Amino acid sequence: MALNGGAPPRGSAAAAASMRRRRTTSGGTGASGGAAGSMLQFYTDDAPGLKISPNVVLIMSIGFIAFVAVLHVMGKLYFVRTQ
Amino acid sequence: MCPLQMVMQVVLVWFGPNKMGGGFRVLHLVRPFLSFLPEVQSADRKVPFREKVIYTVISLFIFLVCSQLPLYGIHSTTGADPFYWMRVILASNRGTVMELGITPIVTSGLVMQLLAGSKIIEVDNNVREDRALLNGAQKLLGILIAIGEAVAYVLSGMYGSVGQLGVGNAILIIIQLCFAGIIVICLDELLQKGYGLGSGISLFIATNICENIIWKAFSPTTINSGRGAEFEGAVIALFHLLITRTDKVRALREAFYRQNLPNVTNLLATVLIFLIVIYFQGFRVVLPVRSKNARGQQGSYPIKLFYTSNMPIILQSALVSNLYFISQVLEDNLLYRKYSGNFLVNLLGTWKESEYSGGQFVPVGGIAYYITAPSSLADMAANPFHALFYLVFMLSACALFSKTWIEVSGSSARDVAKQLKEQQMVMPGHREANLQKELNRYIPTAAAFGGMCIGALTVLADFMGAIGSGTGILLAVTIIYQYFETFEKERASELGFFGF
Repeated sequence: MALNGGAPPRGSAAAAASMRRRRTTSGGTGASGGAAGSMLQFYTDDAPGLKISPNVVLIMSIGFIAFVAVLHVMGKLYFVRTQ
Repeated sequence: MCPLQMVMQVVLVWFGPNKMGGGFRVLHLVRPFLSFLPEVQSADRKVPFREKVIYTVISLFIFLVCSQLPLYGIHSTTGADPFYWMRVILASNRGTVMELGITPIVTSGLVMQLLAGSKIIEVDNNVREDRALLNGAQKLLGILIAIGEAVAYVLSGMYGSVGQLGVGNAILIIIQLCFAGIIVICLDELLQKGYGLGSGISLFIATNICENIIWKAFSPTTINSGRGAEFEGAVIALFHLLITRTDKVRALREAFYRQNLPNVTNLLATVLIFLIVIYFQGFRVVLPVRSKNARGQQGSYPIKLFYTSNMPIILQSALVSNLYFISQVLEDNLLYRKYSGNFLVNLLGTWKESEYSGGQFVPVGGIAYYITAPSSLADMAANPFHALFYLVFMLSACALFSKTWIEVSGSSARDVAKQLKEQQMVMPGHREANLQKELNRYIPTAAAFGGMCIGALTVLADFMGAIGSGTGILLAVTIIYQYFETFEKERASELGFFGF
């Protein structure tokens, strides 16, 4: 994975550290990210847009589930009585 | 999904690279919509491992609830299910909120990758704005596909005709399906932006398949098949038969070889395939590389046998399910009356309702039949040509897709050589100009041979009757293995962090 990211500036401590890490975890996952990862990884960058925090996403999803559940309950109560 | 992909393929063939565009850039059409697209904030701090696990588990929980929650307002979901063959790779469940599953997001991703890879839309990956626009375009296309599919599903009468449903309910169904699509996109983005582990798509696919396998093994549902009530789950049925039957040998044979329901042999085959794939995942060629600047620093660039991982089977099953879909639609609806004996339609495939699972159609003739796995060993012995054709088709398709994919996704020898060069890495004992040649010795071979191995394993799983189709198992194992690797890496980096 280290090979796919941007390289740290040459000769810096970070570069040395990443080299060290690469050596100790040799036989790691160097090639795995290149092929399979690229199709299934779309959103890695920041783009302008309607910014929402991760918690909002979770709350929104749970809200949606609750909404559909309420629809079911309402449907049962309301339509059984009218028909 | 299918018509879109077909259109795209036609576009690819006819227009070729660099014929569209010119001064005008298609990508810029997206810009006005950018500000309306939901976008999960990137993590501004390093998210701890524990928190990542929690986010991943909650996302998974939401997905699972959604794939059990029935849609409100549908009338019926009876009749043939033309998408049955795609459901396993698309993580969708019929009649539930997750009816579309990950179809919108995968389709839009595939379309964009191919468009960008074939230079129909020009994207400069070094320009920040271009990347943002491409992401925006992908998301916008995903939402549009979700809306389009939801409308198509409702109008085509999949849940009962619009007259039966009523306009209000029809609109409610469309809203539910669209919103579910948007939620899947957001959850996937949430996991990829560094709050969770891996990607949402692979997580959802793997969960769906594993759920299927566990259910087939331990399902407590009883089914009456003429010889008294039998449990659906293989393991439960084994114990049930052993306890209730007086003739223990016959009970064992029944549990191991029953044809209509999942049996213990299927389960064992599934476990065996799991182990084989995991064993093969470790096969790799390690090329030594060395930094030009920092003297004495050694590194390694491993080239795996499964270089393209599960991409060949994803592409192969996308191809097959498109073909099934077209063939079924042709036979069922459009041409049935006029051309029921049409040569071309029959060549594509003839379908018959399956004896075992009600409402499910299986191919019995034409191309569709020959690219479907034989249903059992007995079937294989009866039609050896079918088995042989299937084997050849799978191997060649997987090898071909694998080789194509390295070009499209930018992991060919040329791209890897460029990456290494950018990082000032050289191979000891080889001149810098020779790097690409040296990589070229391994990468195309690894891609083609690895794809072929994946194909062979899929065929093996199908022939042994593994639960949930060979394609499904292979997808699940490769995804789980990727997760395992991510998990290890996260843990290692966490430990390293504490070590400093």
